[in-house]
Amino acid sequence: MVRYLITRLGQALVVVVLVTVIAFLILHLLPGGAARATLGKEATLDQLAAFNHEMGYDRPWIQQYLMYVQRLLHGDLGYSYQLNQSVVEAITQRLPKTMVLSLLSTLLAIVLAIPLGVIQAVRRNRWPDYTITSLSLLAYATPIFFMGLMMIILFSQVWPILPPEAPQGFTVGEVLADPAGLVLPTITLAIVTIAVYSRYVRSTMVDNLNENYVRTARSKGLSERRVVLRHTLRNGLFPVITLLGMYLPALFSGALVVESLFNFPGMGQLFWQAALKRDFPILLGVTVIISIATVVGALVADLLYAAVDPRVRLRGSSS
Amino acid sequence: MSESTEPKVRQHQAAGDGTAVQPLLELRDLDTDIALRRGTVHALDGVSLEVMPGETLGVVGESGSGKTMTALSIMGLLPQGGQVTGGQILFEGRDLRSLPADEVRRTRGVRMGMVFQDPLTSLNPTMRIGYQVAEPLRVHEGVGKAEARERAVEILRRVGMPRPDRIVDNYPHELSGGMRQRVAIAMALVCSPRLLIADEPTTALDVTTQRQILELIDDLREEFGMAVILVTHDLGVIAGRADRVAVMYAGRVVETAATAELFRSPRHRYTEALMEALPETAVREAGKEARLYSIPGLPPDLSRPLTGCRFAPRCRHVTDECRSTDVALSGGEHQFACLHPVSGTPTGPVTLPAPVVREPAPVEAAAPVRVESTATPVLSVQNLVKNYAAHGRGLLRRNAGQVSAVADVSFEVAPGETFGLVGESGCGKSTVGRLAVGLERPSAGQILLDGTDLAGLAGRERRRMHRQVQLMFQDSYAAMNPRMRVDAILAEPLEIQKVGDGAARRARITSLLDQVGLSRRVLERYPHEFSGGQLQRIGLARSLALQPRLIVGDEPVSALDVSIQAQVLNLMRDLQRELGLAYVFISHDLSVVDYMADRIGVMYLGKLVEVGPAREVVRAARHPYTQALIDAVPSITPSATAARDGVTIQGELPSALNPPTGCRFRTRCPLAQEICETEPPLAGDRHQVACHFPLRPEADAVSAQTGTAA
Repeated sequence: MVRYLITRLGQALVVVVLVTVIAFLILHLLPGGAARATLGKEATLDQLAAFNHEMGYDRPWIQQYLMYVQRLLHGDLGYSYQLNQSVVEAITQRLPKTMVLSLLSTLLAIVLAIPLGVIQAVRRNRWPDYTITSLSLLAYATPIFFMGLMMIILFSQVWPILPPEAPQGFTVGEVLADPAGLVLPTITLAIVTIAVYSRYVRSTMVDNLNENYVRTARSKGLSERRVVLRHTLRNGLFPVITLLGMYLPALFSGALVVESLFNFPGMGQLFWQAALKRDFPILLGVTVIISIATVVGALVADLLYAAVDPRVRLRGSSS
Repeated sequence: MSESTEPKVRQHQAAGDGTAVQPLLELRDLDTDIALRRGTVHALDGVSLEVMPGETLGVVGESGSGKTMTALSIMGLLPQGGQVTGGQILFEGRDLRSLPADEVRRTRGVRMGMVFQDPLTSLNPTMRIGYQVAEPLRVHEGVGKAEARERAVEILRRVGMPRPDRIVDNYPHELSGGMRQRVAIAMALVCSPRLLIADEPTTALDVTTQRQILELIDDLREEFGMAVILVTHDLGVIAGRADRVAVMYAGRVVETAATAELFRSPRHRYTEALMEALPETAVREAGKEARLYSIPGLPPDLSRPLTGCRFAPRCRHVTDECRSTDVALSGGEHQFACLHPVSGTPTGPVTLPAPVVREPAPVEAAAPVRVESTATPVLSVQNLVKNYAAHGRGLLRRNAGQVSAVADVSFEVAPGETFGLVGESGCGKSTVGRLAVGLERPSAGQILLDGTDLAGLAGRERRRMHRQVQLMFQDSYAAMNPRMRVDAILAEPLEIQKVGDGAARRARITSLLDQVGLSRRVLERYPHEFSGGQLQRIGLARSLALQPRLIVGDEPVSALDVSIQAQVLNLMRDLQRELGLAYVFISHDLSVVDYMADRIGVMYLGKLVEVGPAREVVRAARHPYTQALIDAVPSITPSATAARDGVTIQGELPSALNPPTGCRFRTRCPLAQEICETEPPLAGDRHQVACHFPLRPEADAVSAQTGTAA
């Protein structure tokens, strides 16, 4: 197990390094470069050159990259002149809030999607299945900003029970202190996820219900409830773990559209605004964070899988 | 209604004292439909059967005959869309169809047990063995956790599981196929049922394991005093085990009788044809040169309305009456539904005394010995070795040593000869085949095609040489691109090897179809439109496209029903005669290899343990493993099965990862002694054996020759 972990971590590290290289190259290939973006259109060539010299942008790229990596290792992601704060600071301010929103919506999605998927699989090709399938597809096909707008119109205009804006608090505590504000963004984010997850759960459950071991379970005279919940559900949920692992990066990146729509000061909004203003340090910083989250997500999913599925677990330790 | 549910009372022979015994299970006119998208399949049509307490009823039939659907109907486990639409299922006097669902479920769990075909997929992969085995106890008898575990250990011990107290904490994937089937049996028996339904319980297992499992079921039947329904396609399995047999065809029972009676004098023309189609019958009665009787055509489509005898379109004795009259089962102990039955006097296939297995071959009408040492062998394999690096799969990818798949194997195949390669799964026979056709490169050793060493060739030369050898697969459907039409499939080898132009290729393809007996219309169709037998013909046509001199057939008929198998085997033989082909015929089925092969090589765990003329290897085996293999093959001659007292091997095949030193069979050999830790060489002249204690000396070459002449 330890050996496996080391190997996997090694692979993950290689991926992260590659991501930093690619991100670095792309950002420096952009027309105008960082100096133009920072100093604006009015800056003179001398000013640009001075800026570039000061930041080390006139040195060879390899050297620049190494400098960048060195700073990265010290937890320094650069400084955003536009926000007038360090990238790390900007991210640490927003990341926890984004995570709150993402976690809430993911939890909500799982709690609803699993039973829905199971019901669909057990009643497949009958009306409960058709109904849920139709609704899922509708939810999945609706653009998320439209969904969010409808939510705002319905629940804060037509029937004003919830605020249209997410909590504006500066810290997680302040955000959580205004739970009503979290409801609409959470639900909006969850709806699409529910659609994806319930389809997924349905298909793995349908596959598993056709397996021979389910027939064996029935031959033991078990109730249908026991056959589904005890025998099939566990095996049917393994693939969902992988899906969750893939969702981890979203926890960090936040949701561009929903955060903008509900004016939620999270990672998504940070990234969106940085992109509009060509705030390279922020863009690069967020990209690196998300890429690390992606790699770690896959790793966590694999480990979780190994922890819950005896076939994976024992195959590893016995050889 | 109440009158008809009154269970039929029958004199039970086993009772002896003449007391009337009620059947444990009685099916009356059972109809089962399966609704599919393309229509409704009438899987069972008026099936009536009886099972007496304590007896074994064998239900035999080919795929689609309804034998499994009968079992599933009884258990209430029909697949989605399946439904019993008529008739009664009387179990212990109560009609399961009219009982409330909960009651049926309880009956199914406590009073009946079922064992399924594929032990690899029939157990829940993520549940511990002990929990799975004891689950019925906990659900139906409310047994506590600790006691359930204890009773799981107990029942596992009774099904012959080694170290049951440890196995209960294992997961299914940690056990071999045979062990998993023992677990499945334990699970079915944990509530001491009155009836055990075993649906092809050994089809997925090797013959030696099959024998162990069948014997186990026999023993447990007596121990538990339960009845058994043994569902199988294998007449041999039934012959050795069942008290009575029901033969099914196209959703109906066509014949039922006491086992000995049925095999001695089958009455229904289908039963008769089925027995004649067995290679075993052909070899015993007419010698190896005899053609197998093959039942023409295919079973009927059960989604269409059918009139008359369902076997009529394929029957040799059909009359117009057969096509129009629905024949019911006759009365009495031996029932059959046939207008022109085989005459009652026993002139059936089993009139000859069973061959005396132990005697050296009475080589009557033996194949002319085609192996001439002067001719250059078409294939010569010398000291072939194939090792695979073993990685821990899944999590730990470290190198875990080497799997010794093929270890120092040498043999030759003469032009026009059939060399049979037999052995159980994992013995390396398929690897030898793949090496011979060049799909894989050997770790060491030489492969000579027509005297040319393949290792010395590269690129184009090597490819050209490989035209000489082609492969025929077990599962032809899986071996064909489902998106390619048959014409493209057959043209592909010609295109790859750049043979001829378009017109020449088309001409070649047409002549190939003629050779394998398919009409030209198949060219525009896709693989999924064909039956197994047709696919095997297409596969054969593809292998023949490049006019090879040798075809390596890897289990080419193992997936086919007996009647279709006979068609393919006959075809393979005809082509051999016409084209002078040589075959390497790889199979686990000794009776098929016995019929097809001139010489046989027996493999065990990567080693060739015995090589010799087919008749001698099968009838006068010299290696204990070969003898054990032969003894384990179920035969339709009940006496032959009963008379066996030969070598029985126990235990499991050792891992090829760290094979035993010396003779690899020594860990399971009843004759093994200290010297067996040194490796025995493959010694002998025509009939070679790698054993320190061969069962018998090599049949004297001279007397063998005389035997041939006589």
